[in-house]
Amino acid sequence: MLTMTGISKTYQSGATALRNIDIHIKPGEFVFVVGPSGAGKSTFIKLLFREIEPTTGKIFVDGVDVMSLKPNEIPYLRRQLGIIFQDYRLLNDRTVYENVAFAMEVIEAPMEKIKKRVPEVLELVGLRSRADNYPGELSGGEQQRVAIARAIVNDPLLVIADEPTGNLDPETSMEIMKIFSHINDNGTTIIMATHDKTMVDFMQKRVIAIEDGYIVRDDLKGVYGYEPEH
Amino acid sequence: MSLNTKKYFIKETYHSIKRNQLMSFASISTVALSLLVLGLFLMMVINANNLAGYLESQVQITVYMEDSAKGNTLTSAEKALKEMPGVVKVSSVTKSQALENFKKRLGDQKDLLEALGTENPFPYSFDVQVDNPQRIAQIVPGIEKIPGVETAKFGREVVEHMFQLTRILRIGGLVLVIFLAVATLFIISNTIRITVFARRREVSIMKYVGATNWFIRWPFLLEGMFMGFTGAVIASVFLVQIYLTLQNKIYTTLAFFPLLGSWPFLGYLTLFLIISGTLIGAAGSSISLRKFLDV
Repeated sequence: MLTMTGISKTYQSGATALRNIDIHIKPGEFVFVVGPSGAGKSTFIKLLFREIEPTTGKIFVDGVDVMSLKPNEIPYLRRQLGIIFQDYRLLNDRTVYENVAFAMEVIEAPMEKIKKRVPEVLELVGLRSRADNYPGELSGGEQQRVAIARAIVNDPLLVIADEPTGNLDPETSMEIMKIFSHINDNGTTIIMATHDKTMVDFMQKRVIAIEDGYIVRDDLKGVYGYEPEH
Repeated sequence: MSLNTKKYFIKETYHSIKRNQLMSFASISTVALSLLVLGLFLMMVINANNLAGYLESQVQITVYMEDSAKGNTLTSAEKALKEMPGVVKVSSVTKSQALENFKKRLGDQKDLLEALGTENPFPYSFDVQVDNPQRIAQIVPGIEKIPGVETAKFGREVVEHMFQLTRILRIGGLVLVIFLAVATLFIISNTIRITVFARRREVSIMKYVGATNWFIRWPFLLEGMFMGFTGAVIASVFLVQIYLTLQNKIYTTLAFFPLLGSWPFLGYLTLFLIISGTLIGAAGSSISLRKFLDV
């Protein structure tokens, strides 16, 4: 599903975020990426959907060489990915339904398909009854569920989440993690950068730890391995 | 592009304008004002140009004949004048016509002429019009060589000053119109930049979920074109009103002033403004969008 070989990233400022990373992730895996702040997790995540480009190395997503894509082909890469951020990134002037439908509209899906699919994913994240509410009327956990619904509405091969529970209390985080677990059970590959020790230790999934740009650990049933920072 | 997508673009454009009502209103007003200024200027420049052309066409040469010239000499002189290069019209003014004209100009003071007694001091003359007033200085020496011609006169200094003035009017007008058009483009692109900036979050989300650049661009382009078009229509309405009012004023006070007729002049002017307004709107949003599409 995802292969990285010899990936290094040095920013223009001279700061090196990743050094010679080799990773292989199989379809259907659930992978946590952990490490101290500034260790290179965000860089790692941003490389996956080509928001930034590596200084050296190759990235393959589902067999496609990401670095060989022309700028006008990048949208088609992103259609196979579902991206979730810590700050939800919802459109506050649109309803829950519209926020999710938006992801289908922009890839020019037919209207009938949108009308059928959006309620399905809202059901999956447990927000069917909140379809006509605006993000401002929802709790943080509910907003993140909308973001998850938006990320999976186009059936991505790979879901990429950057600190999805970073702004949520432990109880809500647990609910969110259950949804991710459910999505993963349906066969979608998930890569998640997180600081959430409780969650990582509870889930018992593959854990990749990055420190100072190097992979220092890669365990199949790993633990968080750091003291909680906050 | 599917019908569904077209509907989406129109819906998005409509919602965007509605959602950012105040901003859209500000943008349209700015566009309308800029185009109104541009239009007023164009109106002035085109009329000044027309006036210059009119004044130029009024320049003529007056050829005064010797007192002794009579009959055949006059006929052959007229023939020679008509054959000169660039001459389009030759009309003769007899001694008695010249006297009559002078009497008319004197009006109430025509008693003054009594001092002349029965003597008519005016010479026989020809009024010569040429196709291009720039030629006058060239052909005058030739005219003076025609037998029987005493002298050929034209307001040399007046003509040269006028050419200078019309040149300044034309070049200056063109420069100002170009400058104003560029300023308008800048104002519109800046206004749309603010609209795009207000929606940069939406643009970045669109990029993350895999929208193509053209998909993102269309609603903004339509919005820019709509703003440019609406602004231009508003500017045109004002412009037509202003011109008709001015025309009315000028006809009643300065009847001889050669103002361009309102039709088709105003038709071309408004058409020009509406087309350039729409194009400037599209160009303005493209310029502003370029930066925001690099996500």
